[in-house]
Amino acid sequence: MEFLHYSVRRIAGGIPLILGVTLVSFVLMVYFGPDKTYELLSKNPTAEEIAQVRAQLGYDRPFWVRYGIYIKELATLDFGYSDSTGERVTSILKRTIPVSLALLAPGFVLGNLLGIVLGLVAAWHRGGWIDKTIMGIAVVGMSISFLVVIIAFQVLFGVVLGWFPVRGWNVHDLGSYVHYVTVPTLASVFVALGYNTRFFRAVLVEEMQRDHVRTARAFGAGALEILWKNVLMNAMIPICTRIMFSIPLVVVSGSLLIESYFGIPGVGKVTYDAITSGDQPILKAVVGLTAVLFVLILIANDVVYRAVDPRVDLTGAAPK
Amino acid sequence: MNLPIEDPNPGIDSGLQPIGRPSDELPWGRTWSRFTNDRTAMAGFFIVIAFFVVALGVWLGVWGGHWAETTAAQWGPPSTEHWLGTTILGQDILARAVFSTRTAFEIGLVVAVASTLLGALFGALSGYFAQTAIDGVVLWLKGVLDSIPFYLFVAAVAFALDGNPFAMHIAMIATFWTTTARVVRGEVIKLKNLEFVEAARSIGLHPLTIIFRHIVPNTFHILLVQATIVFVAAIKSEVILSFLGLGVQDSISWGLMIAESTTEVLAGHYMNFVAASGFMFALVMGVNLCSDGLQDALDPKRPIR
Repeated sequence: MEFLHYSVRRIAGGIPLILGVTLVSFVLMVYFGPDKTYELLSKNPTAEEIAQVRAQLGYDRPFWVRYGIYIKELATLDFGYSDSTGERVTSILKRTIPVSLALLAPGFVLGNLLGIVLGLVAAWHRGGWIDKTIMGIAVVGMSISFLVVIIAFQVLFGVVLGWFPVRGWNVHDLGSYVHYVTVPTLASVFVALGYNTRFFRAVLVEEMQRDHVRTARAFGAGALEILWKNVLMNAMIPICTRIMFSIPLVVVSGSLLIESYFGIPGVGKVTYDAITSGDQPILKAVVGLTAVLFVLILIANDVVYRAVDPRVDLTGAAPK
Repeated sequence: MNLPIEDPNPGIDSGLQPIGRPSDELPWGRTWSRFTNDRTAMAGFFIVIAFFVVALGVWLGVWGGHWAETTAAQWGPPSTEHWLGTTILGQDILARAVFSTRTAFEIGLVVAVASTLLGALFGALSGYFAQTAIDGVVLWLKGVLDSIPFYLFVAAVAFALDGNPFAMHIAMIATFWTTTARVVRGEVIKLKNLEFVEAARSIGLHPLTIIFRHIVPNTFHILLVQATIVFVAAIKSEVILSFLGLGVQDSISWGLMIAESTTEVLAGHYMNFVAASGFMFALVMGVNLCSDGLQDALDPKRPIR
């Protein structure tokens, strides 16, 4: 009951955010967006024909009415039909989102796990050559563009070595899944690892300087025990925050590049095609749903805090 | 983008500064000597200077001006005349990479300066008026901009501005200020309770005068580091946006070169890709090293050696 009450309050708190995001996307993409009147008209239209098409597209209505219609589309998850294929937007999303999740999940999990492990190792050896080597490689990794990594890995694994396919997504069982998912996963791990390791190391170093870690060392606890129980567990809140908030970015921005480059029919490829062809209904749906996802993560984030740190009280203020 | 983690006990050792130190221990002199003693930071600094000279040469018309000429042979290998070979149209790849250095600096500097100014302005206002309506509006705006996927935002801005060549710059500035503003806000909340601000307030200065004459100059070290981070982010984003067809128009950039090369590499023509990504990697790496060195040198909690 307490939790329900809390969730309702948080969702209510997210409404200004959703309204803001939808307002910005509405103003940019619909109100000042491309005018589709003349695409629907024949040559040399009369004034009445133009007015008729504009009324059909809703261009003659006032700003707030049109914004209200957009909000209603979002609330009822009814975004109409794609401009380019004529397929229902909801059915396109239903088909493509699972593909993107299957494609991105391994890279996301591995990128964060490896980042935490490397961050722990670097933080434990702070100032030593192991730390310096890991952080040096992290800076190099951070300096390479995602696009460059994708192209380089594609050439290396697809053309030079010929181990994995360069394009496509023909997945029907576990073997073919591994076959197609390996190179995209390696590329996304490579790109994320530099940033992740740096962030996790900074958080863990902070935690490692605390008194209870020194006490544990003084009592003769082993390195692994200290790292796991005293450092990692206590640093869970910033770590979880970062991981949770990177989900929308990875799902949308990561899939956009990987899928358009590897020709994988996920939501990122659909979005890429929508950007290049100006397919408004799809873009509206993707932007709107990402905003909703952000708010949901905002709520889920506090619940995760509660799970990793029993001191956190959901009814009161969030922890520092 | 990565952010330094929040200071757990802010303002504990600030405010009390000894008077009359020797000049090399004044904040900026000390920062500079720390920076020059940091070998990796200096290496990064010289890389950036070298690239800046290259860009300056392009601005002054010394080199790189013939990047669009299609006079040489197609797919030429590296030779004495064309050091990095030629493209499918017979354009000199080195000239294109050199000219793109200018494009990169233009994008990086415009976006870094504008978004840092914007971040300083909004961050200082929301920090000084924390917990008021002004703070609420700025935080809401930040939340909104942070929850729109960046590439979609750029696409939307490009639509709205109808092919304006600065759509990319505007979109980057509109989204990149939020990180700077968050860091500045935290620092301003710390600073506004110190004695010098109290003194300024007690002699009746206008809040805006206090903010922009007395508080913002004290966040300069944060702004400098943030500007370098945004510079890198802008150059890296340009590559991806140009690949998506939302980036540089009617010019050449590393992003466009890489976008061109996506089909060539599969056919075994690597020079375009290698040149563009090599140039870009070196500059981004240089700025990253500089940025890390600056962060260390400007850290007030680091003991003076």
